[in-house]
Amino acid sequence: MKSQISALIDADIALEDAEYLYTTLKSGGDSSEAWATYHLIGDAMRGNPVFKPDFTERLMAQLEAEPVVLVPAAARKQSLLRSNRVWSVAASVAAVAFVGWVVLQQQIQADADDTASPMEIAQSLPADYLLAHQSLASSNSAYYIQPANYSE
Amino acid sequence: MKRFLLACLLAAPIATVNAEPEDPWLVLQKAAQAAHDLSYKGVFVYQSGENVKSVQVTHMNYGQGEYARVVVLDGTPREMLSQGSDVVIFSPKNEKVIMEKRRAHNLFPAVLPNTIENIKVSYKARIGGVERVAGRDGRVVFLDPKDRLRYAYKFWADREYGLLLKSLMLNEQNQMLEQMTFSQVDMIENQDMDWFHPNVDHGKNYILEEAIAQPAQEASEWTVGALPAGYRKIQQVTRLVPGKQSPVTQVIFTDGLASVSLFIEPLVKGTRPRIGQTAKGATNFYANVTNGYQILVVGEVPSTTVAQIGSAVSFKK
Repeated sequence: MKSQISALIDADIALEDAEYLYTTLKSGGDSSEAWATYHLIGDAMRGNPVFKPDFTERLMAQLEAEPVVLVPAAARKQSLLRSNRVWSVAASVAAVAFVGWVVLQQQIQADADDTASPMEIAQSLPADYLLAHQSLASSNSAYYIQPANYSE
Repeated sequence: MKRFLLACLLAAPIATVNAEPEDPWLVLQKAAQAAHDLSYKGVFVYQSGENVKSVQVTHMNYGQGEYARVVVLDGTPREMLSQGSDVVIFSPKNEKVIMEKRRAHNLFPAVLPNTIENIKVSYKARIGGVERVAGRDGRVVFLDPKDRLRYAYKFWADREYGLLLKSLMLNEQNQMLEQMTFSQVDMIENQDMDWFHPNVDHGKNYILEEAIAQPAQEASEWTVGALPAGYRKIQQVTRLVPGKQSPVTQVIFTDGLASVSLFIEPLVKGTRPRIGQTAKGATNFYANVTNGYQILVVGEVPSTTVAQIGSAVSFKK
């Protein structure tokens, strides 16, 4: 199933041949999460901006633009399901923002404990700056392999 | 007589080619190109201090641009996919996978600059013998610094394909600082692109990290004066550093091989200023406080170099 979703996103499977995939996706659960993950990775690979202020609107527009297999009798149920999907996306965006906020708060607190007297740099290695250096300086193989923050 | 002369003329150039040792700069130039132009797949071992990691690299270029996938095989399963100069790094962290977008780095075996001329001013190249690495014959090239402002390197270049098989960075005492060496490497014969995708873990949330660095204008409060010989500025950005509320200015310098970052930020009340010098593996740190600014220099260069760059910052009155 997941490989089929991947193929669908890469346009390796024609949309017409994938009706059953859509049906499964609309039923929610595991498959639609996989769908979201693949889209996010695909966006990152193609260089599309993600998590910009208009992220939710953009995603809603994309969902809106996606072809929907309409069966007249099921029309009502469908629109309801669709709005559910949008809500679950909104929830994950909010969750990400929350995690980011918590991490930031912890770091700010750690900083606030410092006093104003100068400290020898040897006493505490500025790992954050080492990581910042590694991530931008082009000669750093270490960044991919053994970045400062990930040392085990 | 005529025939003898002709024979001499024909033989002469061949004899000269055989007698003359290879030009070390040409070997390096070829190695730099081979890393980008060839299609290869292999596993190399990265070693820096006590850290040892095996890394799988797949690189393809059939005239449609470069595609690469790099997977760290030991410890945290980090991986990196690149297309042209765009790079996405996937790093699992607890229940999440962080995706970072970056400009291309020089990743082994593509560690040499495309324009070898840039490093000729700062390094001397010397040809060495032939040593076997990853089952292949490698031509040794020594790259020694002309001064004490950078480290020395030793490279092994595949005699058939030109590709680097091994790279070693050494300090003034000839001790290893960083080493990358193929344990196995093969040329890719087909154009199959099946390998070009990340290994997706469906149990995790994928989060794209926002761009944290923005190109910056020259600062009006300070300038960087005379740089250590051979170093030049290549980039200036304002960026976020974890744990810092206000953006920090980062200026990056390089001599073509080694790179140094200079961080400057106004001292915030309640933050403890840092001073002094220290080192970790190949990386040297220099910190100082001037005119209410915290200056921090970080780089895989000798301590003299970070100190000189830190001292080169002057403030306008």
